[in-house]
Amino acid sequence: MDTVVAIRGVTKRYGPLVAVDGIDLGIRRGEIFGLLGPNGAGKTTLISMIAGLLRPTSGEISVLGHDVVREYRETRRAIGLVPQEINFDPFFNVEETLRMQAGYFGVRLAEERLVEILGALDLLSKRTTNSRALSGGMKRRLLIGKALVHDPAVLFLDEPTAGVDVELRRSLWSYVRRLRERGTTIVLTTHYLEEAEELADRIGVIDRGRLLVVEDKDALLSRHGAKVLRLSLARPIASLPAPLVAVGARLDAGGSVVTFEASTGDAFGPLLAAVADAGLAVGDVETRRTTLEDVFVRLVSRDRGEATA
Amino acid sequence: MISLGLWTLLQKEVRRFLRVPGQTLLSPVITTALYFIVFGYSLGGRLREVEGVPYARFIVPGLVTLGVVTNAYLNTASSMFVMKLQGTITDLLVSPLSYGEILAGFVVAAVLRGLLVGGVMWGVAGVFSGFDVAHPLLALALVVLAAVAFSALGLMTAIWASSFEQVNFFPTFFITPLTFLGGVFYSIEMLPAPFRAFTHVNPVFYMVDGVRFGMLGISDAPPAAGAALLVVLASGAIAAAYAMLRSGYKLRG
Repeated sequence: MDTVVAIRGVTKRYGPLVAVDGIDLGIRRGEIFGLLGPNGAGKTTLISMIAGLLRPTSGEISVLGHDVVREYRETRRAIGLVPQEINFDPFFNVEETLRMQAGYFGVRLAEERLVEILGALDLLSKRTTNSRALSGGMKRRLLIGKALVHDPAVLFLDEPTAGVDVELRRSLWSYVRRLRERGTTIVLTTHYLEEAEELADRIGVIDRGRLLVVEDKDALLSRHGAKVLRLSLARPIASLPAPLVAVGARLDAGGSVVTFEASTGDAFGPLLAAVADAGLAVGDVETRRTTLEDVFVRLVSRDRGEATA
Repeated sequence: MISLGLWTLLQKEVRRFLRVPGQTLLSPVITTALYFIVFGYSLGGRLREVEGVPYARFIVPGLVTLGVVTNAYLNTASSMFVMKLQGTITDLLVSPLSYGEILAGFVVAAVLRGLLVGGVMWGVAGVFSGFDVAHPLLALALVVLAAVAFSALGLMTAIWASSFEQVNFFPTFFITPLTFLGGVFYSIEMLPAPFRAFTHVNPVFYMVDGVRFGMLGISDAPPAAGAALLVVLASGAIAAAYAMLRSGYKLRG
């Protein structure tokens, strides 16, 4: 799988503050890469350097083999950026805004392409509406439209669904998937872990400017993840039968709940067989899988723990 | 050939000021017409002639120059500063537009606004004092150079500024005083010696004086001085603005 964005030893300093600290990362063609991190971790700084909004203090970034500083015209044609902060020019309507943005990229926006973008973002009825009169969600969708007018090979979405309602968030997710199906590489920064879990193929976790982990989402979840089985007993018991203790179960809630934790790859079969053999009456069953959020919190707190130790 | 990117930016900048004509075109014309009526007629009644030219005619080149440079400055300054404030500067910064294209888009649009305001002012003044121009091409060239210089200054100020107050700093503390003390309303021959000496180090004086030579054929200083100063000022300001954009100062963190 070839690399469309190559980041090598990139650092960004603001005086004594190191916002991005020696990051190496490759974004693969056609993937959705989720860049996760708490507020102020360096996510926006990193993608701003790729898109040309900021210059790295040191290190190199290339997009499709072109250096983002020396060959900025080539790299910027390949990139679409949806910035985190909503911006709009109150002098122009939706269509004018999109046509102007295409023009900056040297593209004459064809009518079919304009209609396609407006339709996909549910803005067709707002075509001649002044951007000032759009709702917050519509303004955010217009930002996505602006980033797509030149049909970029790589789309950067910086917190695309911040402050967006659930329905719109779902519709944006499905549009992002459609873009990926058409071959667009997508880099998504978010602190909504649900969003990354839903969309991303690979995950990078960044904290205090350093990349803590980069891994396939499923591998990350199975390596750091766990699953939990809770059996609520119809009749509480005083102590756990030995076969259940042997497989690693424990008794909780004053003898009314049997809890069993396992790695994501492990089976619950032996435990359930032991429960049946012990003749326990099960009233309710609850299972829970570790979410990306659990993994994220663990990784970030481990990093901070190590740093403060 | 002009690129589509530059053409788009230029169109956008021109449409921006044409969408608010009351503020960008009419307001400066009214202000200047008031100067013309108040100074031209009240003082003109007493002075009658300066250097052999009716006073109402004498002040036209200075007023046109003032209108052109102020509007050229304000166009780049307000457009760039508002883009910074609203975050729409991102649209340009992520685009493949070169630094030269960005500079040209802003400057050419600002020069057009300056010339439009200056042209309308000249037309209004002409109704009262006549439309004769001594050296039309020279007058136009000098006015364009002045507009280029001040639009580049406006762009640099807006890139540097973090508040509207700072954007207005330059017109309030430099353009207006230097213009009023730069011979817009009088010939330096009418001033006492110390003020005359000050006028000789005021760049706006040479600018106004050069344009006056172009329009009326009279001047206090050698006309070449004004032309030379404007060439230096315009090329210096363009080079500095280009270097500023290229450095990424305040725009690319």
